Amino acid sequence: MSADATLPPARGRGGFLASRTALAVVIAAYTAYTLGPFLWLATMSVRTTGEISADHYAWPRPFHWEQFRIAWVDSDFATYFWNSTIVVVAAVAAVTLVGAAAAHALARYRFRGNRIIYGILFSSIIFPPQITLISLYQILVDYGLYNSLLGLTLVYVSLQLPLTVYLLEGFFARIPQDLFDAAKMDGYGDIEIFRRIVLPIGMPAIATTLILNFIQLWNEFLFAVVLITDPDKRTLPIGIRAFMGDHFQDIGMIAAGVMISVVPVILAYVFFSEKLIRGMTAGAVK
Amino acid sequence: MAGSTALETEAAPLERAPAIGRVSDPRRASWLVLVVFLAPALVIYLGLTAYPAFRTIFDSLFTIEGSERSYVGLANYRDLLGDETFWIAVRNTFVWAFVAPILDVATGLLLALALYAGIPFSRFFRVAWFTPVLLSYVVVAILWMWIYNYDWGVVNEGLRAAGLDALTRSWLGDPNTALAALIVTHAWKWAGFNMVVCLAAIHALPSEVLEAAELDNCGWGAKLRYVIVPMLRPTLLNLYVLAFIGKMKVFDLVWIMTGGGPLWATETVSTYVYKRAFNWNTFDLGYPSAIATVWFGVVCAAVIVLNRVFKSRDRLEY
Repeated sequence: MSADATLPPARGRGGFLASRTALAVVIAAYTAYTLGPFLWLATMSVRTTGEISADHYAWPRPFHWEQFRIAWVDSDFATYFWNSTIVVVAAVAAVTLVGAAAAHALARYRFRGNRIIYGILFSSIIFPPQITLISLYQILVDYGLYNSLLGLTLVYVSLQLPLTVYLLEGFFARIPQDLFDAAKMDGYGDIEIFRRIVLPIGMPAIATTLILNFIQLWNEFLFAVVLITDPDKRTLPIGIRAFMGDHFQDIGMIAAGVMISVVPVILAYVFFSEKLIRGMTAGAVK
Repeated sequence: MAGSTALETEAAPLERAPAIGRVSDPRRASWLVLVVFLAPALVIYLGLTAYPAFRTIFDSLFTIEGSERSYVGLANYRDLLGDETFWIAVRNTFVWAFVAPILDVATGLLLALALYAGIPFSRFFRVAWFTPVLLSYVVVAILWMWIYNYDWGVVNEGLRAAGLDALTRSWLGDPNTALAALIVTHAWKWAGFNMVVCLAAIHALPSEVLEAAELDNCGWGAKLRYVIVPMLRPTLLNLYVLAFIGKMKVFDLVWIMTGGGPLWATETVSTYVYKRAFNWNTFDLGYPSAIATVWFGVVCAAVIVLNRVFKSRDRLEY
């Protein structure tokens, strides 16, 4: 538990103290390095640009909470926020359902081509986005889905599908076969098995993919910037970028807009940090 | 045997408790069931990933201006060979993708070791160090543009406070430092991810080995070098490959912070494709398709080669 237990006892008291102090300094410095920029941003979001220009590092006094109201109402961040919400919620719901169904079939049933389908779906994780980006732009234009939230949602579903299938397949494959045998004995059909056994038992893994997909899509920039040009349809990342392009000097307002975009992610992290970290590590630990 | 019984189960799925001798292989399902489960995913994959990818490869043989397309054969690829900007972009991306992952993974490993050593408040530190991973590239880019700001950014203010005015510069505006500045920013975002993966892997190590090292009075340095790192090898290499893939695709951060400038110093393949396809007034989607096709091949080949190289060495068994 404590550091004392893991340190070699042979060291002298002086070396022990010195190494502990060095470790503490490094840890404090790195924490300042990761959290410092974020706290700086938070202070600037409740200060006016005039105050910031006078001193970029002062503590907010008074707290200008109206900055958020101005950003939300006058600077269109409400529009961006709701566009992001619609697209991301719809895409995450769709990709989870579609991905879970495919993952279940791949994890549970033996059939010819099972591993090939899995391999093909999974391998697209490494594709550089440009290989689909240019054509997706043309395809969406052809089908009248360019510059529409529906088109962006469909593209987002396809972007997150490989990861979703990969994570859920790994989990579903570990559900004991006995459960399925028993369910078949009780006369459950295949769809019922999926709905009443796989989904409830797989809920922890499904929750993990939900959060992971939510955060990745909430932050997505490249496809949004190519597929959306109408200011009324911008999602938060491209909305912030566009606002910054027009008001480069308005640091206080940019900071307030950035905070609006960060809050949902931070909330998701506060409530589900364990699940999120597990999801992100699942793919890398082998 | 299994084939025929599978059909029977499908024909009467609601029949209660089939006789013992007739229990089918429950791991088989009719084609109808498989289609119901797999079709949506396959349709999405084929329509929005496979078809666009093939179309991009096909398009690279054309010049496409609006709805007009004319076949040019391999001319786009010939032009690419002579395109200096492309080669600068390739060089920058390679530097980033091969070198920077070492920075990410090493930082992540050291942070994980600090947490593993049982520092107080380790839960808080883990959460704090992981936070940058969650921020979008747009947010990270804006934050770091401010940090690198010439007049009031943290870096230059710090240097001035330390009396090192001579070292202050426009970090993103100077071709000599711009790429390094972006690499540091990217590492800032991703170190926490490497940390949690390393930590999970360390906790998964067999405790007997670590306890044995402690009984042998093995110091931290030796333990790290002779026990922990060799045993974590597969994880560390995996992280390297993941970071490599991520950096071969890097776009958002560069696009927002420098736009590829100054003087192409931070141009990456992704930003160059984007510029040629959607940003410059060249109005040709064929040429950027050729770049995307080449890069697709390079990324796939690099991942295969890296996996081969890393897997060919014997894995440590434990």
